Amino acid sequence: MTDTRPPDPPEPAATAEAEPVRTEPALDRRSVLASGGFGALMLLAAVLVIVDAARLPETSEAVGPAAVPLPVGVLLGVVGAALLVQARLHLGTAGTGTPWQSGAGPRVLGMVLALVAFALLLPVLGYVLTTAGLFVAAAMLLGAPSLARTAAYGWALAAIVFLVFDRLIGLSLPTGPWGF
Amino acid sequence: MDSFGLLLDGFAAAVTPEHLLWALIGVTIGTAVGVLPGIGPALTVALLLPITFRLEPESALIMFAGIYYGGMYGGSTTAILLNTPGESASMITTLEGNKMARAGRAAAALATAALGSFVAATIGTVALTFLAPPVADFATSFGPPEYVALMAVAFVTVSALLGRSLLKGLASLLVGITIGLIGIDTQTGQPRLVFGIDSLLDGVDIVIVVIALFALSEAFGHLLTGTGHTTVQPLRERAVMSKSDFQRSWPAWLRGTALGFPIGSLPAGGAEVPTFLSYATEKRLTKHPEEFGHGAIEGVAGPEAANNAAAAGVLVPLLTIGLPTSATAAVILTAFQSYGLQPGPALFTESGPLVWTLIASLYIGNVMLLVLNLPLAKVWARLLTIPAYGIYAGVLVFATLGTFAAGGTAVDLIILCGLGLLGLLMRLGGIPVAPAVVGLILGPLAEEQLRRALTLSEGDPSILVSSTITIVLWIAVALALIASVAAPLVRRRRRVPSEVS
Repeated sequence: MTDTRPPDPPEPAATAEAEPVRTEPALDRRSVLASGGFGALMLLAAVLVIVDAARLPETSEAVGPAAVPLPVGVLLGVVGAALLVQARLHLGTAGTGTPWQSGAGPRVLGMVLALVAFALLLPVLGYVLTTAGLFVAAAMLLGAPSLARTAAYGWALAAIVFLVFDRLIGLSLPTGPWGF
Repeated sequence: MDSFGLLLDGFAAAVTPEHLLWALIGVTIGTAVGVLPGIGPALTVALLLPITFRLEPESALIMFAGIYYGGMYGGSTTAILLNTPGESASMITTLEGNKMARAGRAAAALATAALGSFVAATIGTVALTFLAPPVADFATSFGPPEYVALMAVAFVTVSALLGRSLLKGLASLLVGITIGLIGIDTQTGQPRLVFGIDSLLDGVDIVIVVIALFALSEAFGHLLTGTGHTTVQPLRERAVMSKSDFQRSWPAWLRGTALGFPIGSLPAGGAEVPTFLSYATEKRLTKHPEEFGHGAIEGVAGPEAANNAAAAGVLVPLLTIGLPTSATAAVILTAFQSYGLQPGPALFTESGPLVWTLIASLYIGNVMLLVLNLPLAKVWARLLTIPAYGIYAGVLVFATLGTFAAGGTAVDLIILCGLGLLGLLMRLGGIPVAPAVVGLILGPLAEEQLRRALTLSEGDPSILVSSTITIVLWIAVALALIASVAAPLVRRRRRVPSEVS
């Protein structure tokens, strides 16, 4: 997980043997770009938060609803800008990190589409079918070897979850036209 | 011995055949989910929380305690056998634990982790029993200014200690606070950051945020890098320890507990700090320095005990002040609220019996875990051989189920997906996600207290430093900030990484 091994500024030699968990070779270009991208998103969020806070009406109280969002918006902007600057400074020295697998971008896009389709189809087609579909889509995108077997696993998992959670525990899950 | 009597009553309420069954189910599912790679205790608890929603409060609490301890133990199994820590607090366990497993001593490593966790959690629970009521008494004197200062301490320490870079920790914290702003302002009824979307009026459920930032980002990350080939260390014999293992382990357990509980019970973040300190201590005190780095059993026993003792310690500020200081504690706070418990100074007086049932449940979950896990270690190890695509596809199924149970609309699922992408960006950029979770839950609480304080003083900010306690706490905030800026500079000058080496 990311938070277990955040990249450090480059400290060659010493880190590798002293802290064997963080085997990541210092800074890679993608990590720097991602951190800069996060900074850019924070700047965008800062604008949204400040604009949203500015339209809140004045109230008679000593501290109104905008009292906290405004400083939070300003801080978002400051820290976001700092991340962008830091990323720009590090970009020159960053090396290449672990390579991504082939079709990395399309795979993530496919997963996002599968999740959106899941969200929209769940109330229409019922829990078992949509969940089995989500499982198959995720597993195939992650590199499952056999479609037929994956479909069988997905169907079985979805059916068990439905039986346990809907019938046994009473969490009402959406049912399709066929009742499951 | 007042709290002792109350604890006994708690046990009486918790030890019924039905409750014990729920505890057993909780421990089993908690371990099974927690053992999966990349799933730490916070995520285990968030994913399995919906299961407990339909139960009676007592049954839900006891099952929840089982899930919590099961998730903690499952995490150390993964750390030892797979070299993949589920969260930063079990990172140190991989150092020696995985080396032991590679040397064919996986069974001893698992056994010392399980027994050490048991010892630490037992002592921790007893300490909690006696420490919590006086702390709660003390906390009843806190007014809004004290709460604001306490939360400032938590904010700064969480962002400074849960990652390597203060800037990135702050970025994560601020994003969490911003998500916490979404929804209707409870004091004036004004919608904030809603942008006309009705489902956002109630805010974004913390369970959804935790699942997105931890689980979806993990699955997305594997789509980018591939699932890779991880080597699971085989576990051939039953989890047992030799006499010399035991003799080397027990002092480490006690030292780890002594470090973990006090540090965990501070109202400041940083669950992994005691594990680092324990590792450093064991390395300094050991009679077998040559084994460190190659699988020294003390290096597993101490940090594991410290981790579990700290987890019990974290419950002190959580229960008595309502202050969560780790991602797991933030999820636990949400769970308690859904069971009708409102953590804070009034908790022990208002819902006394339920709290003592909870503490007794924690203890029972702990015993149950030991009874179940030493014999079943092989079964858990086998779970690790499920192919990665199956694990992460299954994680997605449970992630969407948990989201649906917490929110129940298509918009919640879209939010899950969007936050998952945000989590992926954070993961790639080396930005820790735990501060965001703490910020999300503490942000609204801090805002409420701040506005209450300023309403009392009619807008005069000097009320925030009006008592000795607040001044001490603000000095602590300043010191933590200075330390987190200065420490990397010092470390760089000495060219030697501080704690671990």
